[in-house]
Amino acid sequence: MAIIEQPLAIGTGHVAEVRSPLGVFARPKATRGWRSWITTVDHKKIGIMYGASALVFFLVGGCEALLIRIQLARPDGKLLSAETYNQIYTMHGVTMIFLVAMPMGAAFANYFIPLQIGARDVAFPRLNAFSFWCFILGGLFLNSSWIFGGGADGGWFGYAPNTGVAYSPGHGMDFYTLGLQITGIASLVGAINLITTVLNMRAKGMSLMRMPVLTWMLLVTQFLLLFAIPVITVALFLLMFDRRFGANFFHVEAGADPLLWQHLFWIFGHPEVYVLVLPAFGIVSEIIPTFSRKPIFGYRFMVGSGIAIGFMGWGVWAHHMFVSGIGPLSVTAFSLSTMFIAVPTGVKILNWMATMWGGRLRFEVPMLYAIAVPAMFTIGGLSGVTHSVSPSDTQQTDTYYVVAHFHYVVFGGIIMAFFGGFYFWWPKVFGFKLGSGLGKTNFWLQLIGMNMTFGPMHILGLQGMSRRIDHYSPGFGFAFWNLIVSIGAFVIALSVLMFVINIVRSTMRYRQGLIPNAGPDPWDARSLEWMTASPTPAHNFDEEIEVHGLDEFWFRKYGFDKDHKVVRIATGDEVAHKGDATNVHLPSPSFWPLVAAMGLPILGYAIIFNLFLAIPGGFLVLAGIYGWAMEPADDPDTHHGYGDSDAHGVALVRVGTEEARHD
Amino acid sequence: MIVKRLRSPRQDPSAGRFQAPRHALALVTTLALSVVLSSCASHAELDTLKPKGKISREVNNLITPVFVVAGIVLLLIGGATLYMIKRFGVKSYEEGDFPEQVHGNTKLEIGWTIVPALILAVVAVGTVSVLQDQNHYDKKNALSVVVVGQQWWWEYRYYDGGFDPAKDYDPGIDIRVDAVQNHDGKVEKHPVVITPTQLVIPTNREVDLYISSRDVIHSFWIPALNGKRDAVPGRIAPWKIEADGPGVYFGQCTEFCGLSHSRMRMQVVAMDPADYDTWLTQQKAPATAPTAEGQKWLDQQKAITAKSFDPKADPSKLIAAPTASAADRGMVIFRGQCSRCHLAAGIDEDLNNGTANVDGKPQQVSNAAPNLTHFSSRTTYAGGIFNLYNADGTLNQPQLEAWLRNPPKEKDAYAQGNRGMPNLGLSEDQINDLVAFLTGLGQKPTQDIIAKTEVQ
Repeated sequence: MAIIEQPLAIGTGHVAEVRSPLGVFARPKATRGWRSWITTVDHKKIGIMYGASALVFFLVGGCEALLIRIQLARPDGKLLSAETYNQIYTMHGVTMIFLVAMPMGAAFANYFIPLQIGARDVAFPRLNAFSFWCFILGGLFLNSSWIFGGGADGGWFGYAPNTGVAYSPGHGMDFYTLGLQITGIASLVGAINLITTVLNMRAKGMSLMRMPVLTWMLLVTQFLLLFAIPVITVALFLLMFDRRFGANFFHVEAGADPLLWQHLFWIFGHPEVYVLVLPAFGIVSEIIPTFSRKPIFGYRFMVGSGIAIGFMGWGVWAHHMFVSGIGPLSVTAFSLSTMFIAVPTGVKILNWMATMWGGRLRFEVPMLYAIAVPAMFTIGGLSGVTHSVSPSDTQQTDTYYVVAHFHYVVFGGIIMAFFGGFYFWWPKVFGFKLGSGLGKTNFWLQLIGMNMTFGPMHILGLQGMSRRIDHYSPGFGFAFWNLIVSIGAFVIALSVLMFVINIVRSTMRYRQGLIPNAGPDPWDARSLEWMTASPTPAHNFDEEIEVHGLDEFWFRKYGFDKDHKVVRIATGDEVAHKGDATNVHLPSPSFWPLVAAMGLPILGYAIIFNLFLAIPGGFLVLAGIYGWAMEPADDPDTHHGYGDSDAHGVALVRVGTEEARHD
Repeated sequence: MIVKRLRSPRQDPSAGRFQAPRHALALVTTLALSVVLSSCASHAELDTLKPKGKISREVNNLITPVFVVAGIVLLLIGGATLYMIKRFGVKSYEEGDFPEQVHGNTKLEIGWTIVPALILAVVAVGTVSVLQDQNHYDKKNALSVVVVGQQWWWEYRYYDGGFDPAKDYDPGIDIRVDAVQNHDGKVEKHPVVITPTQLVIPTNREVDLYISSRDVIHSFWIPALNGKRDAVPGRIAPWKIEADGPGVYFGQCTEFCGLSHSRMRMQVVAMDPADYDTWLTQQKAPATAPTAEGQKWLDQQKAITAKSFDPKADPSKLIAAPTASAADRGMVIFRGQCSRCHLAAGIDEDLNNGTANVDGKPQQVSNAAPNLTHFSSRTTYAGGIFNLYNADGTLNQPQLEAWLRNPPKEKDAYAQGNRGMPNLGLSEDQINDLVAFLTGLGQKPTQDIIAKTEVQ
């Protein structure tokens, strides 16, 4: 049984003399201001940075979407050239998947996994910082392609050989292969970190089957990432070698089979869908019980179906390739597996509905989202089932019907769940609720906007509108619905604007003292993250928590009388920790994760532009890793009081000892 | 707009008022209705729900009930959600007002795991059955055509005696292989008709397509006749179409294939078998020079290429290039410039006869550009995006001239990378001559086909 203090209370042994590895940096100490952010190893700050960067990229990807929609609003759109359009739509997809939906999931995972399992931080705090820096620098690297001659133009799916250097001679696809390798490091490292955290750092009594559904879903997500990211990395690596070093992995003229790329990409790509959707499912599973005043219906089925999706998600990749010519036997097998993956997803939706059934539904903004998400996801799921009917999929694939399908899943199911999550946990993270009025406006505009945007795409797809076309002729009869779609896109944009205004307005009002601190438990919620002050103090909990069952926090507030009626035992404020503990032993900040991560984009530029750049890039990576390894996990100059002895984990601190003695 | 107050069972009547989801319902209903109506009323050329052939109808019959079941499930889920919002909504929480704390119901949950699985099992049976039909090829009776995609147009190759990828190898698919050489000792087999953009087929006969690509992946799709099949370079993928009746069926490349993906279109022209036979006979014939004078010059040019005439030895017999008619002048330009990429059988096929090599490489790589032998027998060109004729049957000369003047301006291309037609810098006189020559190649199709194939 893991104990929250254990991995952090590493004795600092005899390394006290090692203060600044490589003699460059003094150990950072800032707890406020920008320095505290760039050196932080606090899972909460990292989570916030993940979320904030994902939102910024969401605005970037959203602007790209608006450009696409202006172009397609009327037949023969003239706003963008074919070349620019292909770059914009490619970067829209790449941004929304890799730089928005994935890091938003990572934001929730980073912030809430440790809190929900009653831990002090993640297992490897500096590695966590490294994850974030890889993500953000990889994302900036990818988008720097706009400055260096144009974005990737081969679609987010990057099918070879169209993405080979012969057919995509610009550098856009190079930025794609390298940028996604860098963000891939972020996901892979994060997955290892979070899996270790969940498996080893749960509070006393927090057995796996007592973990909140969100943590469970995030755990499954991390396993999916752990196995999926290496596959896409291999694919990107091969493509990079084809493009930059004249390899022949995807060159048909040299005997390669371009379907190799498709298999690699979709073996990653389909589990990736579940990487995105499972965190969203987890969020909904937290919000619905809270605002229904009921426990989640069928906890075991919810967890089990999540795990089932995690396994089955690996057996459906070739349904993206029904028309690629993989042969009728493969098509049959993947049709069937695709149909039956709908079953565990359906279980989740029905269990959410059963949770609400007979409950006391209170329509706060997070709940509005949590009700809308299953409905929208149902539409996306049902159109998914129609895809699994493979003979019919030969009509629908690569049309707007597919675009409609996955936007109902990714926007209606995933992004909207994240928005619900933002509204739900905002008070926990920042100490105040976002405005409810603007929040409801935001929600309704978003719901109406998304149905206006993605609903008619079903019709367009069935009318035969191909994906990835930069214009369509008036004779196709697509004009009317495309106009509606484009108007809908601007309604979504308006809703996002409401969200941004809400954040700015609520923050200002909170700072001016116009809205009060939300307190530890503003929603009368159920899981451990609410059992501490808001915003969460740096040390999370004042003392170790012992868990006795699912919904531990709720059961500390409520009990049952002899008639099985719920009676209050205590208020949330009484139960929750005050967050005022001092001298808590926390992992120390560090510059080195940032230094090591900064070398990676420079290595990327080296491969694209000039191999000599690999010298500074490689130096930074090596120096970062060296400094990191030489630096003790804890700053020996800080004193914490309890837990600061050699009592635990002595063996972990010997790195650097020899160095110290030679000094 | 429905403004009816919804009542909560436990709170005061106005509590839990929740109107907007009704709008959502209205929206969803509208959308659902729109899908249905659009399938009836739309005039979309690429409509996937209007099958015009045996196999596409079978696919449509398979998916229609699935759409219906999906719609019912959606209505049930959506309806239940709205019902719960109305029935169980409260405005605020009162102390101690808790519903029964139900943690689950294993029987119910097993039930709603099994029932969807059973529904899907039924769908699966239908799917597998249609999948079998869709992938069954009647090689004995079918017409077989090789379909080759390239940036950004389609080529169709017809063979005497049909084409069977198990036995035949078509070197023309593979741009590396010299068109006239055998490959791996297999029997040499040349297409008797090569035509781009418009695929002509007989009605009520299965047409087996063997689909490949010369560069990147494309996807061949005629929605009215069947779903799509990717054209993957290095592979020959079988597919089939069949048309119930004479007509024109539109299609578009549906796998992203680079810059001008959206400008890669195609049409299938289905004819009665007798008309089809006539068409085939016409297409097999090579082109001839526009005038007798031009033909004489052409014959001598061929003799020079074949080295059966030596102009150095006998310069007095050298015929000057014909200049009297515009079409003849156009032919001379065609042989000089266009023949680097285009083939017009009878006019420049000798250039492609394995003899016109430079450093061992053929100058013209087996139809690297559309075959123009019967140019005017087709109604669209440049990847199916321009009309050769106006709807009234007259020549659409301005468009053809604009195309010859500066092709990359008319259709996005990386012409410098040999993808797409480059700007040849032709003078206006040359353009006029070429138009005269090209429009004389092949038989003009019937007014009916011209009208039906018109693209916008």
